[in-house]
Amino acid sequence: MMLIPCPFCGKRNESEFIFGGAVGADRPDPNSVNDAEWVEYLTVAPNPLGPVQERWWHARGCSEWVTIWRDTRTHDIVEAPDDSE
Amino acid sequence: MTYDVAIVRQPLNALFDLKGSPAAIQNWAADVLPTLPERPNSRTGQASVELYHVGRNHWIARAPLEQEAELEKHLSPTNCPAEISIVRVSDTLTFFRVVGPQADEVMSIACPLDIHETEFGEETVTYTELFGLKALIMRCEDGFEFAVEQSFGDMAEDYLSRAVA
Repeated sequence: MMLIPCPFCGKRNESEFIFGGAVGADRPDPNSVNDAEWVEYLTVAPNPLGPVQERWWHARGCSEWVTIWRDTRTHDIVEAPDDSE
Repeated sequence: MTYDVAIVRQPLNALFDLKGSPAAIQNWAADVLPTLPERPNSRTGQASVELYHVGRNHWIARAPLEQEAELEKHLSPTNCPAEISIVRVSDTLTFFRVVGPQADEVMSIACPLDIHETEFGEETVTYTELFGLKALIMRCEDGFEFAVEQSFGDMAEDYLSRAVA
């Protein structure tokens, strides 16, 4: 069970949130990438062993969208890695 | 195990959903609404009208149903400025009161929030989940009050009665 920090409500139970997916790369210009790169952008979600940036929707709360970093090894919410953008 | 509580379904209330910047809402509705609560998930009141701060730039005004027409006349949802939104939502929420010496124990079964007085005071109003449903909860005299979507009213009542049986 995670306590997710909502910027409006403070720390709230994970069950109040709906998972919004991992934060992927920015949308590339379809005219400047090849088919493989476009398919990669559309279909491959980040799935690292370690910190991953995720979006969560506080659906049963204040309706804010929250972006957090979660470590997939420990399930802990962590600080953004130093090399993150 | 049985609990020493009473579960009381409340009559309809006049409810208005307000969205927009605090300044714009205060400008438009200052004469009929209490001062906007600044702290997240808190409430203010003036006479019989209460205002709940339930989200960023999002408030719910609540009053007895008899005041609905008068409030609507003053809030004038159809003529309000474009930067704010006012919607009458009186029919969308069903309120319940869970009162009695063990009200906090029953609410702890229903929702994951820390409802100890140090964390959840008299002025706190917040959306959370109650038996998995989105619910607006707050304290009332001798217990707690919560609201769920109207169509889930019977279900919430059934869940509660099973929890306390």
